[in-house]
Amino acid sequence: MKILVVTEQRQNKWNNTSFETLAAAQQIAKDTSSTVSAAILGKGLSSLADDLAGKNVSEVLLLEHDLLENYTPDGYCVALKQLIESTKPDLILFPHSYQVRDFAPKLAAQLGKGMIGDCIGYKNESGKLVFVRQMFQGKTNADVTFQSAAPWFASFQAGAFRADLVEPNTSGKASVNAVSVNLSAEQIRTKPQDLFKEAKSAVDLTQAPLIVAIGRGIKAPENIPQAEAVAKALGGEIAASRPICDEGWLPMERQIGSSGQTVAPKLYLALGISGAIQHVVGMKGARTIVAVNKDQNAPIFEIADYGIVADIFEVMPALTEALEKAKNS
Amino acid sequence: MTPPQREQLEADVLIVGAGPAGLSCALHLANLIKKHNDSGGKPELSTENIYVLEKGREVGAHQLSGAIMNPKALAELVPDYEKSAPLDTPVTDDAALFFTEHGSFRFPITPPPFKNKGNYVVSLNKIAKWLGGLVEGSGVNLFTQFGGAQLIYENNGIAGVITEDKGIDKTGKPKDNYTPGYELRAKVTVLAEGTRGSLTKQLVEKYKLDNINPQIYSLGIKELWDVQPGRIAPGYVAHTLGWPVATDMYGGGWIYGLSNNRVSIGLVIGLEYADSQFDPHEAFQKWKTHTHIKKILDGGKLVRYGAKSLPAGGWYSMPRNYVDGGLIIGDSGSFLDSQRLKGIHLAIKSGMLAAETIFESLKVGDNTTKTLSGFQQRVEQSYIKDELWKVRNFHQSFQHGTFRGFVHTAFQQITGGRGLIDPMRAEAGYKHYKKLASPAAPPAHPEDRFKGDGQLTFDRLTDVYHSGTRHNDDQPCHLHILDSNICATKCVEEYGNPCQYFCPAAVYEMAKESIGALKLKINFPNCVHCKTCDIADPYQIIDWVVPEGGGGPNYEGM
Repeated sequence: MKILVVTEQRQNKWNNTSFETLAAAQQIAKDTSSTVSAAILGKGLSSLADDLAGKNVSEVLLLEHDLLENYTPDGYCVALKQLIESTKPDLILFPHSYQVRDFAPKLAAQLGKGMIGDCIGYKNESGKLVFVRQMFQGKTNADVTFQSAAPWFASFQAGAFRADLVEPNTSGKASVNAVSVNLSAEQIRTKPQDLFKEAKSAVDLTQAPLIVAIGRGIKAPENIPQAEAVAKALGGEIAASRPICDEGWLPMERQIGSSGQTVAPKLYLALGISGAIQHVVGMKGARTIVAVNKDQNAPIFEIADYGIVADIFEVMPALTEALEKAKNS
Repeated sequence: MTPPQREQLEADVLIVGAGPAGLSCALHLANLIKKHNDSGGKPELSTENIYVLEKGREVGAHQLSGAIMNPKALAELVPDYEKSAPLDTPVTDDAALFFTEHGSFRFPITPPPFKNKGNYVVSLNKIAKWLGGLVEGSGVNLFTQFGGAQLIYENNGIAGVITEDKGIDKTGKPKDNYTPGYELRAKVTVLAEGTRGSLTKQLVEKYKLDNINPQIYSLGIKELWDVQPGRIAPGYVAHTLGWPVATDMYGGGWIYGLSNNRVSIGLVIGLEYADSQFDPHEAFQKWKTHTHIKKILDGGKLVRYGAKSLPAGGWYSMPRNYVDGGLIIGDSGSFLDSQRLKGIHLAIKSGMLAAETIFESLKVGDNTTKTLSGFQQRVEQSYIKDELWKVRNFHQSFQHGTFRGFVHTAFQQITGGRGLIDPMRAEAGYKHYKKLASPAAPPAHPEDRFKGDGQLTFDRLTDVYHSGTRHNDDQPCHLHILDSNICATKCVEEYGNPCQYFCPAAVYEMAKESIGALKLKINFPNCVHCKTCDIADPYQIIDWVVPEGGGGPNYEGM
C-alpha cells in the first residue's frame, strides 16, 4: 500500500505534529509492508523539504506555487487532488490540526470519500487496518474501518504518536520531487488576510509546576515582595486570588479562579487566601495544597493537604529563609 | 468617542425582553397574524418583522420566580398547554405557617391569599424556555444576548430602541471587536423588561407616566435544593410569616416542593424597611435555620441561588402603560398581584392584550395612543383588573407594621379591596430609611461578614457562585453611580452605606483605601440583575443599565 503523509508548515516553520503523523505512517508501513512518501505545500520550502528528505521516506513531494504560499482551503484542495490523482496513494494521513480540519474533509468529499478524523491510534487486524478514535469526550473508544476502495483519508490526534520516534533515513537522503501544480486565482474563493497575532502574555500559570498564591491576607501591595521571595526561593510562580488582581496589585494573567486561570500544579501554596468557592474551583486540582491563614475556620483548610494557622507575615520570611538554606546546603 | 455609525433596522414590532410577558406578546401576535392571513385578511401581515430582544445568554437565563403559576392565562395562549408545557407538579397542599424563633404554627384554615390548589409549581426558567421555542417556531425573530440600552424618542412617544454597544473595554475605549449597538426602529415597541426595567424607568420619568403611587418593590432571594427523599412532597406549598421578619417589616418565606426531591425556598422582603443596615441575604440564611426548614434541607445540596426584585405596589402604582409607539407589559408595568405574589399569569395576559392592541394597530396603520390606549382599556375589561382591583390597597397597608396591615387587609377582604382608606397612598421604599442615630460601625471586612456554615447556610460569595452569574470583566461597569462623592461622605454618616447589605450578590463593598479613607468598590461581574440597588439606594444615585449582552445569571431550573 502507498501511504502519503501531508505535512503542515506555516511561514516556513514546521507544525511539529507533522512528524508525529510521519512516525505513525512509518509504523503502519512496517506493519503492512507499505511505502511512505511525504508531501509539503507552500512556497520557498527547500530547507523544510530537506528536513523531510532526511527521514525514512521513499520520496518527498514538493508542491510549490505562488498561490500556495498562504494557506487557503481551495488552494490546498486543488493541489492535493491533483497530487492524489497523479500519484494514486492508498492511504493519506494528516495531523489533526485546525488547518487540516478546515480542508481535509473537503478534499476527501471532492474525491467521493469519507475521512476518519482525530484518531488516537490504529490496529492491524489480520491485514485490515483499523483506526481508533475517541467518543463521548474520551469516555470510550471506537474502532473504525474503511468500507470503500482507496484512497482513504485519516488524521491523527496531537500526541497520539511521538515525533521523536520518526525514523531517520539510513541510506542518505530521499529524493525531493517537485510536483507541478495547476492553480489559478479564480479557483481560490477566500482571500487570506494578515495572520492573527496573539498578544504575548508574560506567564502561563497552567504550565507552572509550583505556584505561590496570595489573597486578601496580603493586605497591601507593599507586602507582595515577601510572597515573591517565597516564590523565588521555591522556584515557583506568583499568583493571586481575584481581589488582588481587581485592585491591580498583580496583572490579570496571575489570577486564579472561576474568572481567571484554572491550574493543577504539583504544589499550590495559598497565603492569606480564605478559600471562597470562586477561587477553589481554579486550583482544587493541585496535587498538594498548602494553606496558611490566621483564621482556623477559613474554608481553604477543607481542601488543603497541609494547613498552617498562622500569620502569613510570620510564615513568609521564615519559609523563605528555610528554603534558601535548603537550597544552599 | 465620536457618535458611532449605527446600523439601522426597521421592524413592525419590537419586544424588549423574552420573559413570560414578552414571549406571550410575541406568540399571541404571531398567532393572530397567522389566523388573519389564513382567512385572507387584508392588509396581509408578516411575523417576520417582529423582533424580540433578550439580554441573557439564552431565553430563561434571567428568569427567576418561586413559582406557583395560575394556568388560566397560559390556557388561553396555548390551549393544549397541559400536554406540552413544563408544569412540574400541581399544588397538592397549601399551608400558611407562622414562625417564631423556636416553633411554628400552621393556620388551621389557610387564608384565601395563600390558597393554591388548582395551580402548578413551576420553574419559570423552564416555562420561558418552552415559550421561547414556540415563539421561534412561529417565525418571530428572537435575538438573545442583546439588551435595550437606549430608547429612541420621537413625537410624544418612542420609535424603537438602540441595543448596547459591544466590545468596549473597562476604560470606555473600543476594543478590536467593537460593534456599535443597532438602531432598531419599530412601529410599536413593547417594554417587557421585567421588574424595574431600565428603559421603562427612563420612559416613565420622561413622560411622567407614574400613577398616584410610585412603583414599590420587594426583594425575593431564592435557593433551589435537592433534598433527601421523603423530606418534601411534590406539590407541597407553604408560605411562612413571622420569624425572622420583624413586625415593622414586610416579608415572608416560601417552600415549594417540586418533583424529584427538589425544593424551592426563599424569602421575600419589602424594600421599604427603616433599618439601613438590614441584610436581606443574612435574614434568608437565618430563616433556613428554623427547625421546620432545617428538617427539610438537612443532608441536602444547594443547586442554585438567585435573587430578583418584585413590583409589589399594585394597581395604584402601575404606570400608564401606553405612549405613542410604545407599550409597557408584565413586571415592567407592575402587573403583579402582591397579595398572592403572583405575576406570571398576569404577565402572560398583559402580553396577550398588548398583542391584540398591536394587531389592531398594524391593521389600521396607526401606532399612536389613539389605538395603543386600547391596551389599557383591554386591561380594565379583563380579569387583570378584577384581580388587581381587589388588592389595590394591599401592599400599602403594611407601611406601618404588620398588625395595622392585618387590620386594613381584613377590611379590604370584605369590601372588595376598598378597606378603610381608598386609595391608600404610599411612598417610594427608599424614603423609609431612618437616618442613623450614631455613626454605623465601620463596615466589616467582606470576609468577616456572615459566613454561614457551608452546609445549610452560606455566605454571599458562595451563593453568588451558585447563581452562575458571569460578565465579561473587560467592559465598563454597568452600575452607574451618579454622584460618587456621596458614598464615602454623606452616606457613610446618614445611612451607613446600605448597598453593602441590600445587594444579594456582594457587588458593593466599602473598601478601606490604604490611606484610610473609604471607597465604594463595585464588583459588577457578580451582579444578578435583581435591580435592588437601583430601587433601594437612599439617594437614588445608582442607575442600573444593561451590561454587554449575554452577561448575567444562569438561572437553570429556577
